[in-house]
Amino acid sequence: MNHKEIRKQILGLTTQYYTERFANEKFEKGKTRVNYAGRVFDEKELVNLVDAALDFWLTEGRYSEAFAEKISELLGISNVILVNSGSSANLAAFSALTSEKLGDKRLKPGDEVISAAASFPSTVTPIIQNNMIPVFVDVDIPTYNIDINMMEKAISEKTRCIFLAHTLGNPFDINAVMKLAKEYNLWVIEDNCDAFGSKYRGKYTGTFGHISTISFYPAHHITTGEGGAVLTNDEQLAKIIKSFRDWGRDCYCAGGENNTCGKRFSQQFGTLPFGYDHKYVYSEIGYNLKMTDMQAAIGAAQIDKLPMFCKKRKENFNRYNQIFEKYSDFLILPEATEHSDPAWFSYIVSVKEDAPFKRDQIAKYLNDNLIETRNLFGGNIVRQPAFIGKDFRIAEHLNNSDYIMNNTFFLGTYPGITREKLDYFESTLDNFIRKY
Amino acid sequence: MAIVKKYKAKVEEIKNPFPDIYTVTFSSDKRFQFLPGQFLHLALDEYDGIGQWPESRCFSMQSSPIEPQITITFSIKGRFTKRIADKLYEGKEVWLKLPYGDLFSQAHSLNNCVFIAGGTGITPYLSLFTDGSFAKYVKPVLYFGARSQQYNIYNKELEKTKIINYGISIKTFYENIDGFLKIEEIFNDYGNLATYFISGPPLMIKSFKNFLLSKELEEKKIRTDEWE
Repeated sequence: MNHKEIRKQILGLTTQYYTERFANEKFEKGKTRVNYAGRVFDEKELVNLVDAALDFWLTEGRYSEAFAEKISELLGISNVILVNSGSSANLAAFSALTSEKLGDKRLKPGDEVISAAASFPSTVTPIIQNNMIPVFVDVDIPTYNIDINMMEKAISEKTRCIFLAHTLGNPFDINAVMKLAKEYNLWVIEDNCDAFGSKYRGKYTGTFGHISTISFYPAHHITTGEGGAVLTNDEQLAKIIKSFRDWGRDCYCAGGENNTCGKRFSQQFGTLPFGYDHKYVYSEIGYNLKMTDMQAAIGAAQIDKLPMFCKKRKENFNRYNQIFEKYSDFLILPEATEHSDPAWFSYIVSVKEDAPFKRDQIAKYLNDNLIETRNLFGGNIVRQPAFIGKDFRIAEHLNNSDYIMNNTFFLGTYPGITREKLDYFESTLDNFIRKY
Repeated sequence: MAIVKKYKAKVEEIKNPFPDIYTVTFSSDKRFQFLPGQFLHLALDEYDGIGQWPESRCFSMQSSPIEPQITITFSIKGRFTKRIADKLYEGKEVWLKLPYGDLFSQAHSLNNCVFIAGGTGITPYLSLFTDGSFAKYVKPVLYFGARSQQYNIYNKELEKTKIINYGISIKTFYENIDGFLKIEEIFNDYGNLATYFISGPPLMIKSFKNFLLSKELEEKKIRTDEWE
């Protein structure tokens, strides 16, 4: 057999392996854990992954190109820069705005950046890592997104940027945020890590800000294991983001390529000698955050499933709504932002202050019955040890963020949550609340 | 930069109006995506789409992004362009990789733009001039130098340009009649408020750029389209 025939055989066996190993996983009430999230895949992901391994190109290659192209076409964004995680995407996106190439528009140490306190840390940490000041604004319950009135009041002369996540897939009030950004000439980064596939006024989230980010961690809407992407329609920003991703280098050749710019040995940079090899010219203080082709190979198969995954997430969300509605005296149920169509990352619930039980009691009961719950990430992030003593500003108060920290939890809506699992969840919840 | 994609492309047409100048049009099953002023890499050798990209060379897109096919024009300058001229034929399959470059996507004022082109250096401008986005430029000026009138093979595109932006001023210089383009005269006419785009033979680009720098023009107001 030649190598092409061997490859064909290996990929055929991979399909067979998928069927034997993964295709018929069974759920048993009280024995199988109901995870809040997880990867959902079929033989296509496995075949792509093995195919990429057999290429042994390893770094960005044909699958990276295909994956980026599919995202670009889906969202209608011209630049998709693949990175090794959603957090790296946030870091590259924010750091790019500090580039001297942006002239007066660039962010500088001491500038203020509007964000939410009830959030995941890596929406906020790039601000601190770049020596800027996060301004924490409280969120609204039950959308769990930034309070727009408080946000406008929080804008000062030093404010230069808005960096916000669409909380758990629920879009923030994009029209209001973009209006303020325009009025005060602010950059907007949409952290779309939890919301890939959500829509606002009929348009995908991640397509409104100057830059947006996606995460492909297994808990998210599609996965590449670890992985993420930075998106922008701005060509200059795209080039800067790519530079920050690739060690800060000026050269944009992909791995294994040379002289793509056609000017490798004929340019002047800094105080380097004229014609210094462009491959080793660094115009930013960058990182190495690249995705591998094996990860992209999984993503290239996963993204074809995104519409189906989002549909399933919405169905699961609606089923949770049915289940929880009967307990709305005790619990605050989530609400989609007006004009939005969220591809819910999860189902988020807050226990009312006068309920006869506390969040931790219900969460413990569910977890004891093998139903995973999660808190809304860092709760009120300013109370996290890493943030104590750091430079930040709180706009007015963070009362709701504190409330969320104490009373809120979420459940999985991911496509691996089946009808059987939801039925099991309902009976478990009924058993818990019956006691009260 | 937009996502760089590899395209298996077919040579649809080759025009060879002069012994050393070739205009080639490519088609592909995939829609070409690029911005005016960007360039591509053309490879002649076999490539399976997986491993190491073969030897290739940069060429500016001459056609506008709205056209389904891509056209380039090149003159034979060295080993690789000679090889391309020898090996290309209508119907041949080649690999293209694009888009690259940011000639017009870097921030610049749309007022007072002076486009200076020597010979086939006009091609990146044509991709802009024949694109709808060119209508936004206010009173642009093109200085185009060609060896002689018969070497001006771009009349069709330039006529289209005048329809898209009727404010354009096109000044053509034929070496056999008018001599070479003179940057001193161009600068005298437009001064240091203009943004100068320069494309053409490397020596021309270098000397024009150095002249403009010597006049203390800000470097960001000098945009060149040059390769080794």
